[in-house]
Amino acid sequence: MLCALLLGGCSPGDDDKTPGVTRLSVWAHAGQAAERAVLTEQAARFNAGQSGIEVDLTFLPERDYNAQVQAAAIAGELPDVLELDGPYLANYAWQGHLQPLDTWLSADIRDDLLPSILAQGTYNGRLFGVGTFDSGLALYGRRSLLEAADAAIPQDPEDAWMAAGFDALLRRLASNDPDGAVLDLKLNYPDEWFTYAFSPVLQSAGGDLIERENFQTARGVLNCPNAIAAMGRMQGWLQDGRVDPNLDDAAFVSGRVALSWAGHWEYRRYAEAFGDDLVLLPLPDFGHGAYTGQGSWVWGVTTHCAAPAAAVRFIEFLLKPDEILAMTAANGAVPATGSAIARSPLYREGGPLRLFVTQLAGGYVVPRPQTPAYPVISAAFRQAFADIRDGAAVEEALDRAVQLIDRDISDNQGYAPAPAP
Amino acid sequence: MNGRVQHAVARLLGYIGLLIVLALVLAPIAFMVAGSLKPDARVLVEAGGLAAFLPAGASLDNYRDVFARVAFPRYLFNSLFISALIVIGGLVVNSLAGYAFARLAWRGRDVLFSLVLVVMIVPLEAIAVPLFYQVTLFGWRDTYLVQILPFVANAFSIYLFYTFFLGLPRELEEAARLDGAGVLRTFLMIILPNSRPVFATVAILTFLTQWGAFMWPLLVTSGEAVRPLPLAIATFYTLPPLQWGDIFAFGVMMVAPILVVFLVFQRWFVRGVATTGIKG
Amino acid sequence: MSAATPRCAGWLLATPALLGLLVFVALPFVLAVVLAFTNLRLGSPLPLEFVGLEQFRRIFTDPAFTRALLNNALFVLVVVPLQTLLALALALLLQRRMRGRVVFRTLFFLPVVFPLSLIAVVWVLIYAPGPEGMMNSFLALVSGGAWDARDFLRDPWLALPAIMLTSLWQGAGFQMVILLAGLQAIPGELYEAAAIDGAGRLQRLWYVTLPQLRNTLIFTVLVTTILAFRLFDQVQIMTRGGPRHASTTVMFEAVQAAFTRQQVASGAAMTVVLFTVVLLITGLQRRVARQVREVA
Repeated sequence: MLCALLLGGCSPGDDDKTPGVTRLSVWAHAGQAAERAVLTEQAARFNAGQSGIEVDLTFLPERDYNAQVQAAAIAGELPDVLELDGPYLANYAWQGHLQPLDTWLSADIRDDLLPSILAQGTYNGRLFGVGTFDSGLALYGRRSLLEAADAAIPQDPEDAWMAAGFDALLRRLASNDPDGAVLDLKLNYPDEWFTYAFSPVLQSAGGDLIERENFQTARGVLNCPNAIAAMGRMQGWLQDGRVDPNLDDAAFVSGRVALSWAGHWEYRRYAEAFGDDLVLLPLPDFGHGAYTGQGSWVWGVTTHCAAPAAAVRFIEFLLKPDEILAMTAANGAVPATGSAIARSPLYREGGPLRLFVTQLAGGYVVPRPQTPAYPVISAAFRQAFADIRDGAAVEEALDRAVQLIDRDISDNQGYAPAPAP
Repeated sequence: MNGRVQHAVARLLGYIGLLIVLALVLAPIAFMVAGSLKPDARVLVEAGGLAAFLPAGASLDNYRDVFARVAFPRYLFNSLFISALIVIGGLVVNSLAGYAFARLAWRGRDVLFSLVLVVMIVPLEAIAVPLFYQVTLFGWRDTYLVQILPFVANAFSIYLFYTFFLGLPRELEEAARLDGAGVLRTFLMIILPNSRPVFATVAILTFLTQWGAFMWPLLVTSGEAVRPLPLAIATFYTLPPLQWGDIFAFGVMMVAPILVVFLVFQRWFVRGVATTGIKG
Repeated sequence: MSAATPRCAGWLLATPALLGLLVFVALPFVLAVVLAFTNLRLGSPLPLEFVGLEQFRRIFTDPAFTRALLNNALFVLVVVPLQTLLALALALLLQRRMRGRVVFRTLFFLPVVFPLSLIAVVWVLIYAPGPEGMMNSFLALVSGGAWDARDFLRDPWLALPAIMLTSLWQGAGFQMVILLAGLQAIPGELYEAAAIDGAGRLQRLWYVTLPQLRNTLIFTVLVTTILAFRLFDQVQIMTRGGPRHASTTVMFEAVQAAFTRQQVASGAAMTVVLFTVVLLITGLQRRVARQVREVA
């Protein structure tokens, strides 16, 4: 593994002159150790399994990943194949750094992909990126504590707790709890988590981050009365002390809270701690359905790449059911294709994490806005959430976010898409 | 007799005061070192009491972890190489300029010196983006050069040298001039040997500043080949739960070389002050 | 080596450094100033336009930025005097010939050796909320139980002071070392002469030490002021400017604008404003305390 990393660090991505061999430089984020190990093995397997293409893998630290990619992009030094955080795809496509994949990707694979994967990777009608896995977001709960608080345990997003009922449940749980904090919202996580995890609340209430017709304004959508009410309700949880600050990231596993608003990556840790006492539940319904988050890392091909066919072959390799399952076994994410899901012990019918598939395939998710304005939208929402958490007037905080977003869009002349390549 | 007792009491109080302040000053460091020897889970749990400073059942597991996860030797070499070159280059270039401003008369000196002072105010973050565009234009991305050259000339170092040289007695140079020595020779033979304190100070401060550089290397490099240590620690900052033990172990290892540099230069510093002509 | 004319020599010696400063600091800064009058965004394919004072108008109507300016001013007003006094006190205490002086000095300087980013992380843990947090338990101990556990970094009144303490912790050692060097440069004869004239300890301090230390003091105050205005790392790591901008600073807002929101021109405008403010203040400082300069 060390060898691969050192090798990967040496060449900044020029094609080798060895005749017959196409060299591809590939960048990926340095996630958990298991993920890195799997990806390194996958690159090795791909290289060994055919002789015309050679993949050079480099890992970049996860924190500030986007800043590093952006800096390289400006310098014109992007690799051939690049992993991107899904919602930022539209911005890079708009900047002209990505090539569309639809002409190269085989129809079989396309049809096998989860609709959420396709939605996330599409900008301006073309497919620019494909993920090998998607993310799942839900409420993890302690069955014993919930039953002690007389809660019905929903199995399906259709039966999700309504927001008012959820409030009442939190109060009941708190009365049995020594410090009154019964919910973990992962407040200790860095930045993007907040948009990912809490913008579905807006959608569940009938609002959204931005209007989805033309992605031109957030007014009346981000600060609509329903959205304000929903965020106000969340503020109530925070002000009443129902939420654990989770500095040690162990509020749930150490038993301090009964519910944890978290993603698929926590399953292993939580299951180890609680076994059968662990239940997976849909997020609360704020009036328009139990929406949840989606989206994760996607693979894209840059305009720097002179051999897109070869690049897509590598991506298709990563999308083979065996390869997808190898990665999702390491990181616990939702496999991107139906055929992989069917073989996954966690995600197939009857599997413990089937709820995530139901949510992703059943229309309970809305992708984070596929617009080049996304970085500003996310920053604005995060700031609003932080202010709301610290006691600001909800309407003011959301109004300010709307202002920031709208002004940015007008500054960029509506982010009109570049002419299609 | 009373005066001597008073004196002794005052000294004792002084000592006690110093010790208390010292304990407060060292507490965070002790916390970090102790944490680096504990398993991750216990670092936070024990933060509230005395146990925070006492690594009961200490082990070097975290240190082993760091070596396993990160190509530490490579990053260490990069950091040392880059910092050393910046320091050495800086000592040469900035001392000459400081001397020119302090002791030589030349046209435009005063204006230029004011400009140097003004430049001292400009923080790296303010010029990071334009400088980034510049070095990209020069084609310097992903090299050692881009991490070294922009930082060799340093207004703050020039100012330090300037202040020090101002304070040197003029007799030293006058003696040299009488012997017929030129400017450069005077500088090398007379000024340098008497300037160990300031050279040591500038070396230490420059090294400290550059050792922790994070944002600039992040923007101008990718991959492991030329990246310095602080970027390696970013590898540990993935999604929570954060492994505090590992992070602290990394921190301790990152600080060790600086400590060595400081201790080495510090002795020169002390000796320099004792033997220099300043006092006289 | 023949004696080069002094006029040439000055230029020759200073040129390498000046060139470096010109190319790598002055030039980018001028560029940044120019950018402040445009609408440059990071990576945008749209053409660059000049927008005059629009960026400045926007930042001055932005509550986050105005609060940042205020915070920077507060920070400087509190930290610079406090830190200087602390450093001076420590230096004076350490100056006397006492056992273990070198050890003490090294240990007090230790905080300076740590990179800011690492320190900030350690202090985040120290400021952990709840009675088990180190700072909370310490304050409870010292006040005999009268202290209520607080979440320092999320408290609108305590966030900035918490960061101030972190800076003080590191900065005092740095200033102390420089002041100590300055103290040690004071000729012993002056003290002896004063003692012979019957001056007590306090009088020696006032009439001998401080005047002799003047240049060094001016220097460290100037440098500390400049560094205080550049406050960024701790804000980035410990509070992200929160809660609700209670601890934000100009550099933090500028970096947020340029890198998180990709609004480079806006960030440039903020740093131009900061630079102007610092220039004015340090100019004032220097005028008030004119340095003694030995010149041919």
